[in-house]
Amino acid sequence: MRAPEPLRALRLVAASDLLDALTWPDGVAALRFAADDMLALDATTADLADEPAIIEDEVGFVGWWLTLDEVRDQVIPHVDWPLRTARLALAQGLVAGVPAKLWLTEDRALLLCAAAYAHELMDRLP
Amino acid sequence: MSAEAGRFVLDGRRLPYEPGDTVAIAILRAGEHPRTGGTLCLAGDCGNCVAEVDGIAYIRTCQTAARAEMDVRRHPAEGAPAWHEDAIAGEIAVRREEADLAVIGAGRSGTAAAAEARRAGRQVTQLDAGHGTEVVAIYAGPTVIARTPEGMLHMRAREVVVATGAAEIQPVCPGNGLAGLFTARAAQQLHAAAVNLGAAVAIGPAPEGVPCTPVLGDLVRFEGAGRVSAVVTLHDGAERSTPCDTVILNLGRSPRDVLSRMADDLPVRVVGSAAEAFPLPPPPTEGIVCPCAGIGVDDLEGVWARGFNELELVKRASLAGTGTCQGSACLPHVRAWIAARSGDVPEPFTARPASRQITLGEAAADVHLDAFRRTPLHDEHVAQGAQMDRFGGWWRPWNYGDQLAEYRAVREAVSLGDVSTLGKFVVAGPDAVEFLQRLYPTDVATIRAGRSRYALLLNERGHVIDDGMICREADDRFVLTFTTGGAGNAEMWMRDWIETWGLRVLLLDRTMSLAAINVTGPRAGELLARIGLVDPPGFLRHIRTELAGVPCHVMRLSFTGEASFELHHAVDRSVELWRRLMDAGQEYGIRPHGLQALFGLRLEKGHVIIGMDTELDTTPRRLGMEWAVNMEKPDFIGRDALARTADLPDHRRLVGLSMSVPAPAEGSPIWASGEVVGHVTSSFTSPTLGQAVMLGWLKRTPFPEHVEIDGRAAAFAAPPFYDPEGLRARA
Repeated sequence: MRAPEPLRALRLVAASDLLDALTWPDGVAALRFAADDMLALDATTADLADEPAIIEDEVGFVGWWLTLDEVRDQVIPHVDWPLRTARLALAQGLVAGVPAKLWLTEDRALLLCAAAYAHELMDRLP
Repeated sequence: MSAEAGRFVLDGRRLPYEPGDTVAIAILRAGEHPRTGGTLCLAGDCGNCVAEVDGIAYIRTCQTAARAEMDVRRHPAEGAPAWHEDAIAGEIAVRREEADLAVIGAGRSGTAAAAEARRAGRQVTQLDAGHGTEVVAIYAGPTVIARTPEGMLHMRAREVVVATGAAEIQPVCPGNGLAGLFTARAAQQLHAAAVNLGAAVAIGPAPEGVPCTPVLGDLVRFEGAGRVSAVVTLHDGAERSTPCDTVILNLGRSPRDVLSRMADDLPVRVVGSAAEAFPLPPPPTEGIVCPCAGIGVDDLEGVWARGFNELELVKRASLAGTGTCQGSACLPHVRAWIAARSGDVPEPFTARPASRQITLGEAAADVHLDAFRRTPLHDEHVAQGAQMDRFGGWWRPWNYGDQLAEYRAVREAVSLGDVSTLGKFVVAGPDAVEFLQRLYPTDVATIRAGRSRYALLLNERGHVIDDGMICREADDRFVLTFTTGGAGNAEMWMRDWIETWGLRVLLLDRTMSLAAINVTGPRAGELLARIGLVDPPGFLRHIRTELAGVPCHVMRLSFTGEASFELHHAVDRSVELWRRLMDAGQEYGIRPHGLQALFGLRLEKGHVIIGMDTELDTTPRRLGMEWAVNMEKPDFIGRDALARTADLPDHRRLVGLSMSVPAPAEGSPIWASGEVVGHVTSSFTSPTLGQAVMLGWLKRTPFPEHVEIDGRAAAFAAPPFYDPEGLRARA
């Protein structure tokens, strides 16, 4: 697997209804890791200033933008959990034994993992 | 099956086979037995035909088509088959599939279940060994694992139907290890394959179409030397011996349900004969019950007499049912035997994957080794000659080639340590203080913003499960650190309690988002001043500032015993900061230190490493760390247990020890009066102190006054061994 791209994002931890209510400009992809945990790719600010929240610049993730064919050929053979058919969708689990996430859009997908694990995915995926 | 006749090799001899022959039938055609003897079912149920085939042991020869030049070797009569390292196959492929309904078995009931499901509009996938897909396990999911000629199949199904039919009951009586014994279905196969059975007799209904003489009465024993020559039955109160070459046994059936028995609580249905409650055979009184493990009736009686009076216990104590066939042959007999003693027929025992022998390669197919993380400084360490090793789920530098020089850099000048692997969490929210007050045994409310405190993490029993720092940033915001190996558990622990207590607390794991460099040594402050630390924090204080242009959270603490500053910063700036520190530290003789030096440095200070110096039931008292527990607090996790046990005698104590060099190996026993009274957990030859210093457990009371380690006297010495006043750390 080729080298990943560094990802810049905001990491937001807050009550789920607050995260639900957030709106983002075009170009920001908001990945919901958990009810109270969100990674907003390419976001620089979030309107949670007056609320109980943890907002941090997040540079701990790296990613690979893949075509759907690449997902089918390089990723799917290495996951043992079912992929959701809905789009947009975020899948989280082990890919080739490495903790990773897969953000599926209509025409491409972002495979992302903690930068600390990137070398393992690069070694294990074709 | 084989399309053409040919020859294969059995134990070095070439034997012919006919078209359609399995290996077992070809061996029987030659007048031999695939093993030394035992009833053959030729249906894959029993383990009496297993042999080594092309270097792979425990192959069911009745399910294996004979091929030209195939190398078949019988297993030894005693002991395990030989290990052939050169027979290890390459990588086994795994095919993953999804299914709506997976039907295991293509017999009558399986085909009927599949047809019914298709009529109901379901997508059905049928799996059958006869068609090349041999199911060996069902896991949660449910996920069906099967062996195919191309490799392993991992199929996740919404529902599974087990339609595997029934196995034939095998005889248990003296002589049941002889050759020449076949179940009825096996005899039919052999007859169809034109294998000469000689003078055949049948116990039970004679199989249709097979020439044989029915013998009346109950089976008593088989007689013969190697091969059966007579069968003895009891009829009308008298024993009768019937000479024969072959005995055909039609003794009933039992459900072939091993797959369903490993799928409790899963959406798995059992249909057909596999779901039938067949009558059990008569309880056996003599002979081998479990041919795979060689367990006789006398063995069952032995474990029963020792109090193992339930099926699962009888299985574990006797090992009946744990062999090649996983109970297919013996389970009905063991159940009948227990029912005769207890009056109750026990349910069959739980089955576990795999239902039959697979190779290690097949079991490990597509299974990955644990993933180990790298810090952003990994390549820097390697470039500086570090010997990297795995610790707590991370690759970490063990040393950079000269651990003594690394040690001296810390004690005498300045050194860098990569501590990016520490657990790092942000805790915030209106109930953050309340949460941490309940979580920790220290009084978190008294930590002022900008201050930090070392803390133990206890479980409900008052046992130490981790340790780290609490850094208060604001009224409702804290940064917590945990040990490298304990961070994952600490996160689960915190999330569980937040949910349990229903507190308004937010938690974010920053372990892999932030790197951390420990700048330590008597000249650490000077070095940091050179890269912009104008107003360094005092001991146990922390600030946020920029160093060399990199935003850092600077924590002043000490694990090495020298002045230390942990610089927590974004992972993408770590290499830049590391290089600036190394460059700026050249005139001080800076060098990085690895874990090997760090372990010695901290041991001189008497700092424990959780998981290395502690055990699962270690309390603060046993560590001599009651100072880290504030029993004045009304409540915290573990408080009740600590209060309850405070006045009870304790038979364990972690102590400091010193002795002449060289330092004994970690784990060395501690001796007193000729008895082992404990062991060494950490050990280091201190260059500064000129002696060996250790931590170790005493586990016998009264605690001894004099001990020996490695045949040498060791002295008790209260840690810290080095700078006991802590002046250097606070400098």
